[in-house]
Amino acid sequence: MGAGMPGVIEAQHVQFAYARVPVLQDISFQIEAGDYVGLIGPNGGGKTTLLKVLLGLERGSGNVRLFGKPLSEFADWQKIGYLAQKSPVAQSRFPISAEEVVLMGLPLRKGTSISRAELKQVHQAMQQTRTRDYAGRIFHDLSIGQQQRVLLARALVSRPELLILDEPSTALDAKSREMFFDLLGELNSRHGVTILLITHDTGEVGRHISKFMYVDKKLVFFGTKEEFCHSPQMAKQLGPFAQHTIDHLHNGGHCPLGCTCAEAHHD
Amino acid sequence: MIEFLSYGFVQRGLVAGSLVAASCALLGVFLVLKRLSLLGDGMSHVCLTGVAAALWIGMGPVYVSIPVVMVASLGIMKLAQKFRIYGDAAIGIVSAAGLSLGLLITALAGGFNTDLLGYLFGSILTVTRTETALCAVLLLIILAGLFTFYRALTATCFDEPFARTRGISTQAVNTVLVLVTSVAVVLAFKVVGIFLISALLIIPPVSALLVSRTFKQVLWLAVCFGVTSVWVGIYLSFVFDIPSGATIILVNLAFLAGSYAWSKWGFWHG
Repeated sequence: MGAGMPGVIEAQHVQFAYARVPVLQDISFQIEAGDYVGLIGPNGGGKTTLLKVLLGLERGSGNVRLFGKPLSEFADWQKIGYLAQKSPVAQSRFPISAEEVVLMGLPLRKGTSISRAELKQVHQAMQQTRTRDYAGRIFHDLSIGQQQRVLLARALVSRPELLILDEPSTALDAKSREMFFDLLGELNSRHGVTILLITHDTGEVGRHISKFMYVDKKLVFFGTKEEFCHSPQMAKQLGPFAQHTIDHLHNGGHCPLGCTCAEAHHD
Repeated sequence: MIEFLSYGFVQRGLVAGSLVAASCALLGVFLVLKRLSLLGDGMSHVCLTGVAAALWIGMGPVYVSIPVVMVASLGIMKLAQKFRIYGDAAIGIVSAAGLSLGLLITALAGGFNTDLLGYLFGSILTVTRTETALCAVLLLIILAGLFTFYRALTATCFDEPFARTRGISTQAVNTVLVLVTSVAVVLAFKVVGIFLISALLIIPPVSALLVSRTFKQVLWLAVCFGVTSVWVGIYLSFVFDIPSGATIILVNLAFLAGSYAWSKWGFWHG
């Protein structure tokens, strides 16, 4: 992205509190087109809340701009694919097929009919997430892992330029998780999709991520994976969670500099 | 049967009852899936305030109750959003306020005896032509809204946060849903009475949800259950000289039992 070009996400002095208890304090950052950002931090550190504020699902203070436009004026929602941490529909008996769920990710239009073009797009997204086989099955009859993949297809169906994912791999088995992260990596490297992903699975996802953002109510760290891994001072400053994350990255053999031992960077 | 259908008041009751039952069934599907089933119950209690106030000042209960219930339903939404009170607690608060106010007005006015009893237990055979026309307009509005905004409605109902990230104003969808339900609730109190309105909103959708495999099927089946219960209920009440409102709801409960049996033992699998 050239100088002066707006970022895909720009946050300036974002703050948020639940019942006067601060959850996010003065968070500012900019995510550029093509970035693959891993959002990490301890439980209760405000990661999910930050994503919700960025999407306008929670109303915080400060400024958020999406694709250069203030959040209040942003209307190109098909540019964004979102997958929540917990689907509010997981336990619902809503009688709707997996195919119809994916259809919801397409731009809204009036009427009840589904066009051929829409159906084609839906099937392509389901192919990508390997959910095509159960397109006609009722959503709530699927396993949690299958539901999660259908919801990922819904996030992908509008061919978004930005994917915002909140711990998407939690319900997936090892094989599905690997497939899932490979797919995200391909979307990022081959199609230039910008990804912001909350994860605790740093070992698996570490192969693809280009930047780390560490949030613990405040933005503690935002930089490249290399900067994150190879800064002993940073590891000390961030405490045991970040140390664990760095260890995880190294033990997974995903250090960008080819290191295999976490201790090498802690001296 | 032919004799039963030859009476003008019966014909009007059947038409108005069918229109209200269809409206309640369609709205009820969304309320049940959004876990707002008790909204109708809360609104029906607020109806008592509207009816009591109308009888006190000598106006038509339907016309006074519609704005009263609309304001109360918006109050429920505001309580839940602004003060972060759970939805069912907000319904309970407004419902108690509505019931208390209704009883207070009744006491201050010296009681209305039979008039009020008619509204509490329903008097479908006293439905006027104007009220029947209102029922028809309401159903038309619901059908037009449903066909036009089907996708926005289903998305909001299925996964509200995601719907918001599609640019859907879920706040507007919820407000319209609640306001239209207010009108349906008021029109329904003549059919089944204030005490049983919520049953028309809840039981047909729940029965339909038990046996349907698609969302469109739920909508159509809920309407079929609701409308059929009105016809069978009015006929049985005519034949056995029993209260029509209660009979309509008992027929609905019979459909619910049948749906449960159907879903439990899976008759469609042969």
